[in-house]
Amino acid sequence: MKRFLALMTTLLITGTTASARSTIEWWQFWTDPGIKPTVDSLVTAFEQANPDIDVTVTDLTWANGQEKIVIALASGTGPDVLELGSDWIAQFADNGHLSDLTAELAPDSAQFSGWGMSTYGGKLYAKPWILGTRVLFANRDLLNKAGYPPDFVPATLVQFRDAAIKIGTALGKDVYGWGSNTAEKHRLYKKYLPFFWSWGAQLFTDDDKYCVISSENGINSLTFYKMIHDSIGFVADQRGVEDAFLDGKVGFVLSGDWLVKRIELEKRKFNLAAFLMPGWDFPGRSFLGGEFLAINEQSGNKAAAVKFINFITSPEAQMAFCKANRSANPSSKAAQNDPYFESDPILNVFIKQMRNSIHPPVDPNWPAYENAIEAAVEDVLFGRGLPATALRDANRKIMEARSRNAKP
Amino acid sequence: MRNHRTIAYLYTLPWVITFGLFWTFPLIYSFLMGFTNSRLLAKEFSWIGWANYSALLQDSAFLSALKNTFVFALGTIPVTTVLALLLALLVNREFKGRGLFRSGFFVPSITSLVVVALIFANLYSRGGYVAMIGQMLGFETPQNGFLYDSGTALYSIMAMDVWMSVGYYMLIFLAGLKAIPDELYEAAEINGASPTRQFFSITLPLLKPVALFILVVNSIKSFQVFVEIFVMTKGKFDTMTSVYFIYEKGLTTQFEFGYASAAAYILFVIIGIFSLAQFLLFRQRKDYSW
Repeated sequence: MKRFLALMTTLLITGTTASARSTIEWWQFWTDPGIKPTVDSLVTAFEQANPDIDVTVTDLTWANGQEKIVIALASGTGPDVLELGSDWIAQFADNGHLSDLTAELAPDSAQFSGWGMSTYGGKLYAKPWILGTRVLFANRDLLNKAGYPPDFVPATLVQFRDAAIKIGTALGKDVYGWGSNTAEKHRLYKKYLPFFWSWGAQLFTDDDKYCVISSENGINSLTFYKMIHDSIGFVADQRGVEDAFLDGKVGFVLSGDWLVKRIELEKRKFNLAAFLMPGWDFPGRSFLGGEFLAINEQSGNKAAAVKFINFITSPEAQMAFCKANRSANPSSKAAQNDPYFESDPILNVFIKQMRNSIHPPVDPNWPAYENAIEAAVEDVLFGRGLPATALRDANRKIMEARSRNAKP
Repeated sequence: MRNHRTIAYLYTLPWVITFGLFWTFPLIYSFLMGFTNSRLLAKEFSWIGWANYSALLQDSAFLSALKNTFVFALGTIPVTTVLALLLALLVNREFKGRGLFRSGFFVPSITSLVVVALIFANLYSRGGYVAMIGQMLGFETPQNGFLYDSGTALYSIMAMDVWMSVGYYMLIFLAGLKAIPDELYEAAEINGASPTRQFFSITLPLLKPVALFILVVNSIKSFQVFVEIFVMTKGKFDTMTSVYFIYEKGLTTQFEFGYASAAAYILFVIIGIFSLAQFLLFRQRKDYSW
């Protein structure tokens, strides 16, 4: 009898312990050998701090990660926690695949930036993690050779244009003023929109009812972009543009913090200058996107998942991540104010630019809008389209997509 | 006897089940899906009749993709077929190093398409060998490379496709040539027929079934062109083809299964009509004349 009681007690204890433990599954995209160990160490630190929670990490790639997430969510086999690109959130939320985290995340929302990208229909669906913007990089040596003083900052679009043209025309046949992206999907619009916004144009009216991409400012911005593309542009894909820039063949490129990391990894001696986006009002507006952490609506471990998200996005964890990855845009405001960024003149430009950046609308139809914008820019840069005609066409397509998918 | 028949059916059952599950069911399901507004992410969808089909026929992107597909097919099929026949005639002759030529022509067709596409993307790039040779010969080449120009991108991919597939069809023509009895040529020679006459009166007519096979297979392959586009241009610079359009609509961004299924069935009908036309054209006469 004693033995039986002891056995039952043991079973009860272990049973209780087992049921109290939970395992959450996290799908994330940081697979680069430079950052993956940091991601793993953050997960380990979380598990140590929360012995009742295990975390299983699955790595995704940007090549097919979105497909995998969509298929998993559609088939009900998605993970508990998902890393999502900012432009996916509306689509997933709209179709009921993400948990409404308003109650859990709203209390400390003042401590983070980027909520605009994860708020859909007045609800919070994901927590901002690592944000991303684009700044204007320049080869300071080429600027110097073109006769500009060492402290030159192109504050207006005219100053930028003139400097780029001078580099592109005065320094030889193989030197270009501007690194212009080819028609790459998901990339071209991120290069054009900063010029569009910095020209004072907007995609939609303030009440969000009508698309106004083909406004006078919009047309002027695309005319300007085409002019620098045609006259002094080195046209290649993102990698090709950055290669040429780092090889000293291109004066200016619009790029992200990965370029800083690349220069350091490749140990290049490069006289890099980073500027805030020029505009009619300085600073101009750049593109804002980022990585967010969301919870699958079907997750059975929501409480543990929220705990995990809060841990990973904590200022300390974000700083560890940013230092390892040379990422410049943590979502945590405490991390943004860290002396690490303050003391780095290049990364500091990213922090400032992030505060002067615009994110695309949080709309489930965004992929259709993006296609329309990219098609217009592609048509103008590489086809026979005129800025006004191409943007009017994009305007029409965007409004059609919006009305076609409007909910009754 | 009945027992034997049951056993025979049992033996074929694994294949029948696999065929039903992975071929017949998706075929019927996707056909039905073409009449719905199904999206992978949406939890519900409804029957919308022919709406997808009518929208597709007004969709400028789809019509442009169809046009590009036709340009690709009609541009590559005749060139590949004629070149393959000429190469087959060449390597069918006795000469030193014949085996080397046969292997050389055939090797591209057994090389990974992705690898070939990547190599050609490099050759076609700004400052690549194709641009260099073109400039040396005095031609004006696209400033940003052949694949970054709407006027040259599709044709560049077509040229690569011809280079890659001609060896495979050459081999099939070669098999056809080997099957033609020598007696026919001997008799023709005795009757004073010139080599040209022999080619048009013996070789070509007897290669008709082989040519039909090549045309049908090549047509289907050309109408389904995808990998080259995916690797080299991602459908940009006026290279969007029908299958790439279907991929983009159904498997990226908005995952519009209904719309993509309808597009796939339009392509299915086009390929069917094209293949049927070829069969009818080649079956009109049974006297082996062209």
